Amino acid sequence: MTEEDSIKQITLKVQRYNPEQDSTPHFQEFLVPVSRGTTVLEGLLYIKENLDSTLTFRTSCRMAICGSCGMLINNYPHLACHTQIEEFHSDTLTIKPLPNLPILKDLVTDLIPFFNTHKSIKPYTIRHETEEMENPTAEFTQTPQELETFLQFTYCVKCGICISACPTSASDKLFLGPQALAQCFRYCADNRDEGWQERFLLVDTDHGIWRCHLAGACSEACPKGLDPALAIQLLKRRLISQAMGLRKKQQSSPVASPITETKGKVPFPEFTAKES
Amino acid sequence: MKQMQPRQNYMGPGGWVWAGKYKLERYLYLLHRITGLGILLFLILHLCMTTIFRIQGQDVWEATMALLHNPWFKIGEYLVCAALIYHALNGLRLILQELGFALGRPTPPVYPYKDALRKKRPWTIAMIAVIAILALVFFYDFIVGGW
Amino acid sequence: MRNTYLRLMQLVTGILIAVLLGIHIVIMHLDAILGFFEVDVTEPTSWESMIGRASQAIWVGLYIALLAVVLYHALNGLRGIILELTPSARTERIVTWVIIAFGIIAFIGSSYVPLALLIS
Repeated sequence: MTEEDSIKQITLKVQRYNPEQDSTPHFQEFLVPVSRGTTVLEGLLYIKENLDSTLTFRTSCRMAICGSCGMLINNYPHLACHTQIEEFHSDTLTIKPLPNLPILKDLVTDLIPFFNTHKSIKPYTIRHETEEMENPTAEFTQTPQELETFLQFTYCVKCGICISACPTSASDKLFLGPQALAQCFRYCADNRDEGWQERFLLVDTDHGIWRCHLAGACSEACPKGLDPALAIQLLKRRLISQAMGLRKKQQSSPVASPITETKGKVPFPEFTAKES
Repeated sequence: MKQMQPRQNYMGPGGWVWAGKYKLERYLYLLHRITGLGILLFLILHLCMTTIFRIQGQDVWEATMALLHNPWFKIGEYLVCAALIYHALNGLRLILQELGFALGRPTPPVYPYKDALRKKRPWTIAMIAVIAILALVFFYDFIVGGW
Repeated sequence: MRNTYLRLMQLVTGILIAVLLGIHIVIMHLDAILGFFEVDVTEPTSWESMIGRASQAIWVGLYIALLAVVLYHALNGLRGIILELTPSARTERIVTWVIIAFGIIAFIGSSYVPLALLIS
């Protein structure tokens, strides 16, 4: 019926590190059968099920939406579930955990500092009308054009790949990182939010947004097409406008007015059988 | 159970230089940094020379200038000029792009993803072409006039 | 917003340097090409040519302005690179003050010579 999928044997060189036994990480090689369409994640699961069950890695959705399986494959950060082994055209793949994040075990990195940095830029809508925020009456209105200014940056899955790609994050431990800065722009650009003044002070620090130098590696490596580099440069533009006093006063979006009048019902045939 | 310390995994300044097969703009950033530091070193030497050797009078000045007409120094001078041309033009590109002017608008991501820097890469290549042309112009002048 | 102002000044001084340094390099190096445009600038590095420029206020003004913007731009950039190596907070303060002191000393030391020659 269909052509026979040839099964090749590919060597996966995986970095192993058990903090209870090893002092330094080392590589271990596994031979994995690979056919057309086998992803790196499937290869790792094969190893865990058949060859070495102590291999540790994170995985959840296997469809590039949860952001768990970020790892360095042949020295480039990918999501393992989203990367086919055959696309490397090589008999050996080297798999390492994401750099610039602490390693807990094998391919698992500690994401707590990453999440804390994200929390530090206040990733939630800040409005000054406390009454409305605590007892909401209706939604805040937003036109599709206003949504387009930040929609692209809402697709972040917090995988940490951009942090691994960023050269500043490689040496600066206090740098906010492209993910936090892009999310800061996502909230500052959202016209339902009024907290830009607080956030500007949070990113305008010695290790904040101005340590970004537009290397663009974060956008290139992002598996969701988020373009954090664009978000950061647009945020820089807002900061400079604010510093030069050129910032236009923007109305934050109002609460939707309650619908007072409904349109008349279109005459529609009654389908229910009436008892005559 | 003993609490395990996670192992630090930073690439350090080596991560500025090489972290994988990234594209053009990451290496433009690295070259911008290297040329900046190189020009800073040259600046310190230049300031020392033009002040210390000038206040000592005409003979010391002309002896220094004769020494500096040595071909090895001329090559170094050309490298500094080329570094300056690169740093200036790349800096102008960074001013335009870092302030978000030349990067376009956010668009909803549709696979295959093209980030803003990649869409504007033709302009970056044009800038590199201008740098190459200016470097050749200076090279011509060094050969014809400077020796 | 202090860091924003520092970076804004870096961009502004960058543009000023592109203009002033452009003039300096074109005068100093591009003898043959300036010859095409019939601008006579023979041997700009000779003693006579240099003393001639040092006695004109506009050249001295240009050199001092160039010195100020270049020192700011270069030392601010250097401070950024050092901060990215994440030293401790105390080291960051020391580095900042050393850079400011070096900048002031370099500026005074280097602008003293042309100014003194101009005034005398």
